[in-house]
Amino acid sequence: MRLLVGGLLLVLALPPRLRGQDSVIVIDPDLPPGDSTVVRAGPPPDVVAELLAFYNDSTTTRMQGDVSFPAGSVFAGRLALFRGALRLAGRVRGDVVVINATLYLLPGADVEGDVLVVGGRLIRSPEARHVGRERVVWDAAPVLRSDQGTLVLRERRRPLGELAEARTSFQTGRVRTTLLLATGGTYNRVEGLPIVFGPTFELRPSRRSVARLDLRGLLRTAGEGSRLGDFGFGARAELRFPAGGVAGRVYSEVAPFEDQPLSASENGWSAFLLQRDYRDYFERRGGGGAAWVQPTRSLRVELSIRRDHERSVRATDPWSLLRNSDRWRRNPLSDDGHFFTTGAQVDLDTRNDREQPSTGWMLRARYEHSTSDDVAPLALPEVVRPPLPTGGGYAFDRLTLDLRRYSRLTPGLRVNARLRADGWIGGDRLPVQRRVSLGGPDLMPGYGFRAFTCAPRGFQDPSEPALCDRSIVAQVEVRTRLGLNLGYRMRERETGGAGRFIGLEEADLVFLGDAGKAWLAGDGPGQVPVNRIPSLREWKVDVGVGLDAGAIGAYLAKSLSEGEPVRFLVRLQRRF
Amino acid sequence: MPSLTSPRRRRPLRCALAVATALGLGLAAARTAAAQAQAVRLTVRLADDASASGSRAPIVRSENLLADGRWLTALRSGLPVRLHYRVEVWRSRGGWFDAFERQADWDVVLRHEPLLDQYTVLTLVGGRAQERRYATIDALSTALAFSYQVSVRPAAAGRYYYAASLEISTLSDSDLDELQRFLEGDLDEVARGKEGVGDAVGRGATRFLLRLAGLPSLRLEVRSTTFDVR
Repeated sequence: MRLLVGGLLLVLALPPRLRGQDSVIVIDPDLPPGDSTVVRAGPPPDVVAELLAFYNDSTTTRMQGDVSFPAGSVFAGRLALFRGALRLAGRVRGDVVVINATLYLLPGADVEGDVLVVGGRLIRSPEARHVGRERVVWDAAPVLRSDQGTLVLRERRRPLGELAEARTSFQTGRVRTTLLLATGGTYNRVEGLPIVFGPTFELRPSRRSVARLDLRGLLRTAGEGSRLGDFGFGARAELRFPAGGVAGRVYSEVAPFEDQPLSASENGWSAFLLQRDYRDYFERRGGGGAAWVQPTRSLRVELSIRRDHERSVRATDPWSLLRNSDRWRRNPLSDDGHFFTTGAQVDLDTRNDREQPSTGWMLRARYEHSTSDDVAPLALPEVVRPPLPTGGGYAFDRLTLDLRRYSRLTPGLRVNARLRADGWIGGDRLPVQRRVSLGGPDLMPGYGFRAFTCAPRGFQDPSEPALCDRSIVAQVEVRTRLGLNLGYRMRERETGGAGRFIGLEEADLVFLGDAGKAWLAGDGPGQVPVNRIPSLREWKVDVGVGLDAGAIGAYLAKSLSEGEPVRFLVRLQRRF
Repeated sequence: MPSLTSPRRRRPLRCALAVATALGLGLAAARTAAAQAQAVRLTVRLADDASASGSRAPIVRSENLLADGRWLTALRSGLPVRLHYRVEVWRSRGGWFDAFERQADWDVVLRHEPLLDQYTVLTLVGGRAQERRYATIDALSTALAFSYQVSVRPAAAGRYYYAASLEISTLSDSDLDELQRFLEGDLDEVARGKEGVGDAVGRGATRFLLRLAGLPSLRLEVRSTTFDVR
């Protein structure tokens, strides 16, 4: 028997009697994507109504749990059972309804009457006899047993996606409200652990559009000691359609200078456990808007504007599990001022999996043009940055590019590649909070943290700021799956069979290589002309090997172009 | 050095040892066979109805999923179980690397609702989702044993085979949320370059602990026989 499902055809579209163990579900990946609405299948409404009427009828004999009618027993009348199993080996003269339970017709069973099984199976011995109509619906009946002993319809459960630990939702008219209390951002040396709280209002004007308003308060657990307040906020209004949307937001938040050398979650763990915060931060307050189109599932184009006040923040002294008595690295100062930024961004994502892709492309390209009339620039060495215009007219352009390709050579051998470029492309030179660096676990693991900051000789700053105008990195890795069995398999208490495996059963063996360069653009000594990229022989190169078990990976990496030591690093997610 | 035991007396001992060893090996083999019979299995076969060109679709099926008590235990402990199926079309190229042609993915997410003692099966394919509920293990087992025929049969001439994989893992609710968003084609988080609220520390911790705490995860891979398309 074959069942065709429109992208997701499931068996219950067919009459129950036609269903069997050899049912086939057809998966058609070429069908256009759905509207993301979860189709909730279940017993037909008339069947539910029928079983409710049958069970609640005062002439029906109601039972619950596991019930057996032994051979030789005789029952006459209407019989209903809710949850459990009904085992019949005797005679029944009358209709039988079994709800969310399994009906067994054992050898010797003799039933004269209609049989309806909903939410369970009918398992019948060849020696059993049944005269009457027979219907089986595997889907569970959405019913509950009330205090009076009757069955009532159960309200629909919340969708899976709305389940979260500190979140509750309720519906008022057409507006759905969700109250949230959660951690926000990541653990860091400026805020500690930010905690966000507030409501989200969601209205669906039509089946294919969503209007949403997020109001968020933010409490900083380590704000004391800095001039940053203990509270921040964020409000975002959004109208979204399948092919696009518009959004506006106002915010007061702490943002990172660069999004490397570790992801936000890894950086949070590093800060929380080891008192090593590898990111730098500045505060921004302002507002902006964005409009985007998403012509296909994998392509998104966005235009945005924003105006915000950016200013420096100081590192505080949040608690860390280890090295708590150490001092945190200072947070670099930023170029304070009001910035007006227009941006264009393209996202193309054809990866087959966001967490562990094995095939597809991922491209993120963002261009930004920013201006400021009141920037208060820091004094940097002239070789790093010529003096910026103050009192108006400061403008700069920045481009960020991240291109990734995931591919498989054989079913067991994968090759992934990434090209990442970031930095200044025109106008006045970048403010400190937009400057870049290289070195560290993500992009160049064979080199130490901020091995390449473009700081001139003799420049001393304990915060180790990133001062480069531009950076470019090419990464490649080869992966193959290995069975490791590093750990211990417990035995099941009841069956004695194989149980939980404590440890790592298998992992990817990863060979990696990276090449990159961060530089100052210009005509001065040690600088690279603005219209070209450094030649390949000037790039820094490292290689490495590691084991990636998905949730955790361990790597050894060594630089080829410098006399750096072999570096051991642990990642809590894939490299890219 | 002379032996204290005469050869005559040693022979019964050797026989006893041999019998004991054979019995032990036999028992071990029987236990292994029983365990294999109960192990989760993934199969991929070619559909019978070939097209005129000889192209045939893959049929994927997982077996004994609930016979492996780990998954049922995880479900009853309140952890959702995700079955991630993938079928890849490969063109065989003799002495060179085989060529990957295309693939299809779909997910089945299982949850147990303890208050109702029911099992929810959420099937996600290309942004479409369907939820079903089953009240008994029997019904759930039967539903999980359905075969999937995947419409990815190749059209160009060549020798092909299918590689199918099934990844079974336990999830947290936030993982489910993320999974559903991704399958719905939501690029917003990617576009903003941010992780969701609470993700930064919490989700990484959850995954890390789920994996290291020994909660089950399993990956199965199989390959079909080759077939020729003319």
